[in-house]
This record gives sequence, structure tokens and C-alpha cells, in this order.
Amino acid sequence: MESILEVNQVSKTFKDKKAVNRISFRIDKGDIIAILGPNGAGKTTAISMMLGLLEPTEGTIRLFGKPPKDRTVRERTGAMLQEVSVMDRLRVKEVLELVRSYYPNPLDMETLVRLTGLAEGDLKRFAEKLSGGQKRNLGFALAMAGNPDLLFFDEPTVGLDISARRRFWDRVRELAALGKTVIFTTHYLQEADDNADRILLFHQGSIVADGTPEEIKSRIVKRAVSVLPRDEGPDLREKLRRLPMVSECYDKDGRIYLATEDTDVTLAALFAQNLGVRDIRTEQGRLDEAFEQLTLNLKEAK
Amino acid sequence: MKLLLSQCKAELLRVFRNPYYIFWSLLMPVMFYFIFTRVVNAGNGEPAEWAAHYLMSMTTFSVMGSAIMTLGIRLVQERSQGWTTFMRVTPLPGWIYFLGKMIGQTCMHLISILFIFAAGCLINGVSLPALTWISCGLWILAGSLPFLAIGTLIGTMKRADTASGVSNGVYLALAVLGGMWMPIEILPKFMQLIGKWLPSYNYGNGAWEIIRGQAPEWRNVLILLGYFLLFMVLSTYIRKKQEVV
Repeated sequence: MESILEVNQVSKTFKDKKAVNRISFRIDKGDIIAILGPNGAGKTTAISMMLGLLEPTEGTIRLFGKPPKDRTVRERTGAMLQEVSVMDRLRVKEVLELVRSYYPNPLDMETLVRLTGLAEGDLKRFAEKLSGGQKRNLGFALAMAGNPDLLFFDEPTVGLDISARRRFWDRVRELAALGKTVIFTTHYLQEADDNADRILLFHQGSIVADGTPEEIKSRIVKRAVSVLPRDEGPDLREKLRRLPMVSECYDKDGRIYLATEDTDVTLAALFAQNLGVRDIRTEQGRLDEAFEQLTLNLKEAK
Repeated sequence: MKLLLSQCKAELLRVFRNPYYIFWSLLMPVMFYFIFTRVVNAGNGEPAEWAAHYLMSMTTFSVMGSAIMTLGIRLVQERSQGWTTFMRVTPLPGWIYFLGKMIGQTCMHLISILFIFAAGCLINGVSLPALTWISCGLWILAGSLPFLAIGTLIGTMKRADTASGVSNGVYLALAVLGGMWMPIEILPKFMQLIGKWLPSYNYGNGAWEIIRGQAPEWRNVLILLGYFLLFMVLSTYIRKKQEVV
């Protein structure tokens, strides 16, 4: 598998605040990667360094085996940054033509126009007059202008409505099917889960987890078993607490909850010991809640 | 080369679609010219000479304005709106972007010069030897450099509002103290003293000398060159410092 991007022990310090702290990872061709983390986790700083907009304080970054500022790297990358802005007093078509002219093998105009999803009338309008959503569409087309192999999207769906969001991800999947590599940032676990092959979980400038959405989820989503007491014995909770893999036992909404690392093992023991409980259910915590909890726990652990 | 051409084309398109340019750099100076040569005659001495003198004042006034304001404010806008950042992600080399801007700016100056010179001919029948017209035009084009440098200096500011306020102030102060609106001789003595050290006076004076059949004074050339170097060094220094953060 061709390595597209290699980040090696990279840190970035602003004044005395460490925004990114010794991150390392490698990205292969054709993957969709989510950089996931709460606001201020260092996602944008990391992307800016990969794009060569910021110089790492320490460490090295290689894209296609070259430093980010290399012209051949720029010719093979496209980016949609958080603030999509355009030159004023140029028509949409003129902006597209201009940016296309920067690249040796640009996408043809027809495809680009289709990518913007703009109507013929809008193409003749001044780019700065477009609505926020339309500007994002234009930003997407501009990122694609050079027919890049690697794409960066920094918070691509902020401010988009649901249908625009869905359209955006459909297009991203099309790109990945063409063998393009996509890296995007988001602070929604759901979005990363739905669209990425791999998630890099950022927290306070470090990568705290790196894996497929499934792996990340099983790490951070707390599973639980909940039961109703059949005959309330004084030591029932104590017995439940001592079941294998149970980390916590608490009452919620009239039920007794057992947080567990492995529901199968806990359930097996629960049946085997024939404790006085009924209506046994397994519970799956919500992803977003769990994600919030994880980043919160990490903060407290500091 | 193809890159540079398309960049220049885009910059020029933007100039002509800018109503502020049309108004402030073309119509305003011509209006002033008409008022101060036809309605109130502010000159002392020979009317024909005043007509040519004030034509040069207004042309330098116009070019100085577009150099300081258009360039400076546009640089701030492009940076604050994130366009400059986007350009850095594309393979377009920074120097082509900058050169395209400078060429666009120069074309814009050339158009201002031709337009206002033509207005002078039409309004007052100003007639000068061909060589004088050309020398004046070249002087005004070349002499715009220190003002472009002021533009890049203003371009380092954070907010477009600040940049627009500051550049307006600088522009008007330079114009009045440099004797572009009124001959410098009618200003109080100490203001004349300041004025003669300003880039605007030295810029205008070069052209005023040329229409009187003389070459610009060395002093004019040196002072303009000095300002150019000063502002370039300053704006390069500030830009470097901003990039480090």
C-alpha cells in the first residue's frame, strides 16, 4: 500500500501553549480518515501543519515522500479550509478557471461545474454574492480543481443543512472509490463513524486513540447490563458488584445498572449464580455521550 | 508565463469591476481638476501653465490614491477572508501572485494616467510636447513605487476597517501637505517645511518640473527612493514577524 502521508513525532507550540503534542501516524492510499476531537483539541493546527501553512515546532511531515511545501505536493493536494472565501468581483466561472490554471492536470470544467452543484445562472454571479452553502459548494469544487490525490477538509459540514451534508458525504465516498485519500476534521463522533475508515481521536493536542470506527467505539462506548430486583435482599447490590468484569453498579430510572467491560461474561455469571433479578437487558450507551465522557474523563485524569 | 497571464487577467477584471476605483481614482480627480481650473482659478500666474501644473497634481493624486488604498485594503481583505491562506495551499508560487498584483496595479495606474491626461486635453486644451507627456507618464508610473510600498505596509493590518481608515487619513494628509490640492506655497511656512520632505510633494514636484521643461530634481528622486526602501523594509519585517506567530 502506497503511503500518502507520514507524520512523525510532530509538535506545535504557540507561545507557551502546546497545541499539538508529539503526534505520529501514517496514512495509506484510498482511505477516508477522520480527525475527531472536541473544539480546541488541535485538529486545525494539525491540518495546517500537514498543508504546510504552519511550521511544526518539532518533528517531520512527509506527503508523497516530500515536505508539505514542495510544489509537486501542492499539485497533488486539494483543501477546503474552515473559512471558505473567494476573491471578490470575480464570477464563479472565472474563479474556477483561475484556480484550474494553477495545476498541471486540472479537472475538466464540466466536471467541476457539476461538483459545485450550482445552477447555470449562479455560475455567472459574482462569487462573493453566493450564499454560505453555495460558497461551500464552490470551496469543494476549488479543492477538486487540480484533480488531487489527497484532499483535506477542515470541518467540512459546519453550517450545512442535513440534505447538503448527505450530498457532501456522497461525493466524498465517490472520491474515495476513485482511489483518492481524504482527511477531514470533525467534532461529531457520529459523522466520523458514518464516513471514515479510520478515526484519529485527538484530545488536548495528542492522539488518544487511532483505529477503525468499530475499534474506537468499543473502546469508548460503555456497555451495561440492567436488571430489576425480584426480591430486594440487602446484599444484592454487593453481589452484583462482584460479578466478573463489572466496574460499577448504580441505580437509574428504577433499574439497577451494571457497567461492564464484557456483557457476555457478566451475563453468563449473572445466570449461573441465579441472583434474585428479573427482566435482564443489555444496554448500549449512546456514542456521542460516550465520546463526551471520554474526553471529560481524560480531562479529569490530567 | 501562462500562470502570470491568467493571474494578471483576474486582477485587472477585479479593478474594472470596482466602482470605488472608477469613482475615487478617475472621476474625483477629474472633477477637482475641472473645479480648480475652470470654476475657481486657484493658480497664480499663467493660466496655461496652471492648467498643466494642476493636471499633474491630479494625476499624481489619483495614482497615489490607488497605490495606497486599493492595494493596501485589498491585501487586508484577502488575508482576513482566508483567500491568501487558500492561495498558499495551491501550487501557485507566491511571487507570481505578488507580481500579478503589481502588474495589475501598474496597468490600473496607466489607465488613470491616460484617462486624466485625456481629460486635461479635453477640459483645458492642455498641450505639451509629446516627449513631455511621455516623460510625465513614466515619472508618475515609476514614482508610484513608494506609495505601493505604503500599500503593502497597510496591507499588514489585521482588519479591513482599520486599514481603510488609516489609508484614507494618510492619503488625504499626504495630498494636502504635498501640495497636490493647492500649491504648496500657500501653506504656512512650517507646513511647507514638512511638506517638502513628504513623498507626495517629491512625487508631484517631479512632474511639475517636467512640464516646465526641466528634469525632476535629484532630491525628489532620492527622497522617493528612500521612502520606498524604508516602507519595503518595514512591511517585509512586519510580515516576517506575523508569519512566525
